[in-house]
Amino acid sequence: MVGASTTEGKIGYEAMENVHDYGGRVYPVNPSGEGEVFGEPFVASIGDVDEAVDLALLCVPAPVVPSVIEECGEADVGGAVIYAGGFAEAGDEGEELQEEIAETANEHGVALLGPNTSGFVIPGAGIHASFATGVEEVPAGGTAVVAQSGGVAHSLAFQATRERRGLSAMVGLGNRANVGFEEVIEYFDDDPETGSIILHVEGTDDARSLLETCYASETPVFAYKVGQADVGDFAESHTGALTGDHALYTAGFSQYGVPVVDSTSQLLDAGHVAATNPLPDGTNVGVVTAQAGPGIIIADRLKQAGVSLPTLEDETMETVNDILPGITYAANPVDTGRPMPEFGDVVRAVAEDENVDAVVVYELHEAALGFPTEAVDGLAEEVGKPVVFASAGAESLLADDRAELEGAGVPVFETPERAADALVALAEYADVRANAAPAGVVGDE
Amino acid sequence: MSETPIEAALADGRTTLTEAEAKTLLADAGVETPAFAVASTPDEAAEAAADIGFPVVLKVSSPAVTHKSEWMDGLGVTVGVADEAEARSVAADVLDAADEAGIDADVLVEEAADVDAGTEVIVGGLRDPSFGPVVLTGLGGVFTELFEDTAHRLAPIDEETAREQIGELRSAPLLEGYRGSEPADVDALAGVVTAVGDLLAEHEEIVEVDVNPVLATSDGAMALDALVVIEA
Repeated sequence: MVGASTTEGKIGYEAMENVHDYGGRVYPVNPSGEGEVFGEPFVASIGDVDEAVDLALLCVPAPVVPSVIEECGEADVGGAVIYAGGFAEAGDEGEELQEEIAETANEHGVALLGPNTSGFVIPGAGIHASFATGVEEVPAGGTAVVAQSGGVAHSLAFQATRERRGLSAMVGLGNRANVGFEEVIEYFDDDPETGSIILHVEGTDDARSLLETCYASETPVFAYKVGQADVGDFAESHTGALTGDHALYTAGFSQYGVPVVDSTSQLLDAGHVAATNPLPDGTNVGVVTAQAGPGIIIADRLKQAGVSLPTLEDETMETVNDILPGITYAANPVDTGRPMPEFGDVVRAVAEDENVDAVVVYELHEAALGFPTEAVDGLAEEVGKPVVFASAGAESLLADDRAELEGAGVPVFETPERAADALVALAEYADVRANAAPAGVVGDE
Repeated sequence: MSETPIEAALADGRTTLTEAEAKTLLADAGVETPAFAVASTPDEAAEAAADIGFPVVLKVSSPAVTHKSEWMDGLGVTVGVADEAEARSVAADVLDAADEAGIDADVLVEEAADVDAGTEVIVGGLRDPSFGPVVLTGLGGVFTELFEDTAHRLAPIDEETAREQIGELRSAPLLEGYRGSEPADVDALAGVVTAVGDLLAEHEEIVEVDVNPVLATSDGAMALDALVVIEA
């Protein structure tokens, strides 16, 4: 920890607090540091650390960074996180400074995260290489958050935490001096803990390379592209005037098999379902609801997004009618009219339907009934399709039952829209992967 | 002509191809264009017009003129030229006006096309600094910038991908035979999109291509106008 400090509130203190209980050794580095911080004695420079250093966290201002990177290189440090701003985002001089550190780092093989980032967190390994307070509360899980902005990375991580979703990683890329989307996506594609990768993208100098990396990823990738209001700055042709950056990202992601989402919530929701459930084979969704109204919202939302609600097989309809004679609406959506003990069997029947690639369920929570956790435990894996719930109720009565249902691997959403939008993104994944046509690859005709 | 239109333009220090050069490039890439010839005298223009068959369109052909229809109060483009005498006279007017304006110009003599016989589509391409070669298709003609009904792909693409791209347009039903009109030859149009993508991918000098309009009819897709911007 270069620039470690004993002064509370300084980045060098906050970051030290976040990493000091990491299982490995942490050395606070500061030539003017005296005594110790969080029980670790200061060393004057990285060169004074008497074992190999895997990672350096740089809590020093921009002008000092080049000399510290040089030290890192000489000490064979594997990677460095540069928190400081004042680089490529801050004009020509900053850009030169960034080029300088990238050159030094490349010479010595040091991977740089940043500069201008708030860092990264690997909850499952207890690595909290961020200076933000509270990152140790982010639970471990299967979604890797890869955000261009450190601020967005943390916003996503804390939203996930609030909503009981785990992350395999949170990475804020910042200025991407020599580690960009491509390196990070490839890394987490190979990571056994990661079941989905979610991207926040503002813009990159080599979008084609980003797209090619996403296409090559076996782990599903979802993208949230921000900045819709731009247009191409070409003057001479109609084509130039009609070709904005956003149009190219949207078309490009789709062409390379990446669903594009509309919000941080949809990004997290899609990532969570993809990491915890089987992926759908197609775009047909079965809807089961205990209350008509929320079910209609879900059905509307799905249809608007071009996701189909197929007719259920005769066999499914018969099963549903056997379970609930005189049921309110036995087509798709299946509307049971209200929660009931057999609700789980109805969900199971729809999930088993061959016409259905994914299932979304809405059920208001009734304390006396709880959720049909037993009936749906393991159902998604069994049928090879995602099965998600949305619900509402009094938090104090709902929390335990929801925890059980989520413990059985069933994502539970707070609103009908979010459950629907998550499955829209999953259905789009099935669709764009099946129809992906990267440039230069000739299809079979 | 041993050198390609791109080489010729680069040798002249130009950043745009003339319409004739752009169409030659497209025709070489397999895109259908109206029959055309470049004439440098009124007699050559009359002769070329007779070869092509009347009526013909006469256009000023000069690297110095990018907006032909606005040039010299409409003298830049004359449609419906009916016979050799008219062709000779219009060509003489164009060449005299160019002389007076002090620019090098020829006359492009071109087969007339009936734009009412099909749907006008724009096919374009550009080299984006971040995405590389990309192709665009959209509703063409006067509606291009009004509706901005366009679809993009990273190039090069195959014809199946180009057909999907065309299918994404809100105006795609116009091509499928809207209200009793004959369906357009979408395969031929997809061929134009593919060819423009290939041009961008194969010629690093090309930075922008506009083929606007492409006339999509039931029996083909013809490039009626073309602009190619290059860079050394």
